[in-house]
Amino acid sequence: MRRPALIALLLLGPAGAFAQDRTIPPKLAAPTRASLERLIDSAAVAGLPIDPLYSKAQEGVFRGADDARVLAAVQRLARDLGDARTALGDSASGEEITAAANALRAGVKTTELSRLRESHAKRRHSDQRLTVALVVLADLATRGVPPALAAASVTELVARNVSDGALISFRQTIERDLLDGRPAASALDARTRTFIDDAERRRP
Amino acid sequence: MSEPENPQWLDRASEELREEVPVRPEWRAGLLADIASAPRPGIDDTDGRNGRIVLHPLAGLAAALAFAAIGAGAMFAIMSWGGRESASTTEVGLASSVPAVAAPIPATDAASDVVRFELSAPSATRVALVGSFNRWNPAATPLHRDAATGTWTVSLRLPAGRHVYAFVVDGDVTADPAAPRAADADFGSPNSVVLVSGRSS
Repeated sequence: MRRPALIALLLLGPAGAFAQDRTIPPKLAAPTRASLERLIDSAAVAGLPIDPLYSKAQEGVFRGADDARVLAAVQRLARDLGDARTALGDSASGEEITAAANALRAGVKTTELSRLRESHAKRRHSDQRLTVALVVLADLATRGVPPALAAASVTELVARNVSDGALISFRQTIERDLLDGRPAASALDARTRTFIDDAERRRP
Repeated sequence: MSEPENPQWLDRASEELREEVPVRPEWRAGLLADIASAPRPGIDDTDGRNGRIVLHPLAGLAAALAFAAIGAGAMFAIMSWGGRESASTTEVGLASSVPAVAAPIPATDAASDVVRFELSAPSATRVALVGSFNRWNPAATPLHRDAATGTWTVSLRLPAGRHVYAFVVDGDVTADPAAPRAADADFGSPNSVVLVSGRSS
């Protein structure tokens, strides 16, 4: 019975499901690996998602960073994950916490994350994901939109029951505006109003 | 010391070697009969099905080792160009059509989706995908080039959730120009984000 399973595994190739591999890269020195293990164990005990921590260490090795830089990056991510969980509350999923940690890294404040979470909790459609809003928020802040303005706009769109698809379109539209040289604040303001008006028109 | 050109002794020796060795007819017939009755190497005919090739277990092991060596060599070759860090994106076109949150192709279960990654890079010679789903291993997920369009693609089944990734274009690490960015430039250039809903089934 083992042979067909092995063959299937070999034939699965690139289309196969990839799961996060929870291994600390062996390329790192033993003391660094030990520090990372302790850090990740602490994060797990605290109920934080640990897959992003493994991924960060693996990415650091792939990009040729030295041990100190890898360790510092994982420590920083662990802190951001803790802050994000505090901002979103204990009921937040690992995916939401990870996306929120990324928004914090982009300059969004914990109070702004909490407001976004509250807006999302009041939405009528429960299948709309907070993670989508958090990813859009982090992207806008990374592209140069002032984080406070980006957080206010995304929170307003979520409060107005804008769909996940519309949020994604909103991000793409702002990105195009920025590439065209439009100032971030004015692009954000105009597009937020447009998307809110559109959501209002679609409301039954 | 130089040898003489076209020595006559060499010509004579080669002519002699080409001449047929006299063999008795009955000896030749016996030899051919023995060859015809001997089992053909590598062919197992004991079950009456001619042509079924049966490898000796050691031969199978040797073949497996050979394949493993070839795979390891290929992996080493790819990693040797994929491990270099660079933020250059000049090779990458801006016409990539990966949606902001990659649209999943219908999959077989709700816990994962098949996601198609696409990058327009006509002048690139090698493109790979690295990310949280493949241990950032540049040898794990090469993209395939459409010669007509210069577009590189690969489809992966990913578990539901948020995944961080980047492309490696001829050794340069670059974010997906069509996807949301992650604010995680700890090691140089930022990465991209793909969300897999796992809802299609």
